[in-house]
Amino acid sequence: MFSERELDRYKRQVMLFGEEGQERLKKAHIFVAGAGGLGSSISIYLAVAGVGTITIVDMDVVDQTNLNRQILHFDRDVGRKKTASAEEKLQALNPDITINAIDVRIEESNAANLIGRADGIVDAMDNYPTRYLLNDVAIAKEIPLFHGGIRGFYGQATTIIPGTTPCLKCIFPKAPPKEVFPVVGVTPGIIGTIQANEVIKYLTGSGRLLTGRLFIWDGMEAHAEELCVERNPACEACKSMTPTKTIARKNS
Amino acid sequence: MTVKIRFFARFRELLGTDIMTEVAPGTLFTPLITSIARNNPAGYAAVFDEKGAFHEFVILMKNGKRIELLDAATTPVADGDEIAVFPPVAGG
Repeated sequence: MFSERELDRYKRQVMLFGEEGQERLKKAHIFVAGAGGLGSSISIYLAVAGVGTITIVDMDVVDQTNLNRQILHFDRDVGRKKTASAEEKLQALNPDITINAIDVRIEESNAANLIGRADGIVDAMDNYPTRYLLNDVAIAKEIPLFHGGIRGFYGQATTIIPGTTPCLKCIFPKAPPKEVFPVVGVTPGIIGTIQANEVIKYLTGSGRLLTGRLFIWDGMEAHAEELCVERNPACEACKSMTPTKTIARKNS
Repeated sequence: MTVKIRFFARFRELLGTDIMTEVAPGTLFTPLITSIARNNPAGYAAVFDEKGAFHEFVILMKNGKRIELLDAATTPVADGDEIAVFPPVAGG
């Protein structure tokens, strides 16, 4: 049940997916891995949409060099833990949801526990080794992984449904080298918003998911396109997966 | 015969995109990309390692279908093929 305040808050989107869709958002628990550029736009839009529980994990402190893109964090937050900053802003945006902000590095030893019983994982990381960990947990728990990545004016996104779509390792079997990547804030804004849009569609059962398709954004050309991606039958991460309950779960 | 080569993201900045090129029958995938990438040393270094092999993270597609990097050396291109050369982006 919704309070009067919630009904007012969500009035314009209930026009899209009904109170039933809003109820699904409220009951959902989404895990956002990272409170940086992607994590900022993802978590802001999930919070205002009314996703009932958002767990957001980051181990960093806000640095002045983050502020051109990490819009969860303000100038006054420099030196503060990103999780404290994120929790404060997200809770202020929507006091009717629960925010779990966890200050820890996501590692093989804790990833599955951190993700717990979340309904989906949103990839807001800045490196592939951790992304592969999230991919493994998504496969083990049979929950979707909403992938995004950015560099400069370029970005990519896809929605991974373990057992049905290619997993992250099918699409990107080898990690690109680590680097201090150039970026302008609008790029994670655009890609993070696409990831949040996918989460909302998945949870409410709306539209057509970005599955089996890699969305590619070229901000220099203001041009988006998609590449078809397929499962790799020999994929070391997901070869044993068969189509699963993951899709059905959203309707249960 | 004509094929189209499409670079993405950083490769695009260095090498351009939607490159239409005339090739002889029997032209193989890897030498074709190599010859085009050689137009820009930084572009070449972005796509290939010092031994002339594709960097292991490069994604190759022909007409929307993935081609394994090792197979690219023996895969011929055909008239009208659209070839995509793509680097995953890692930032967040």
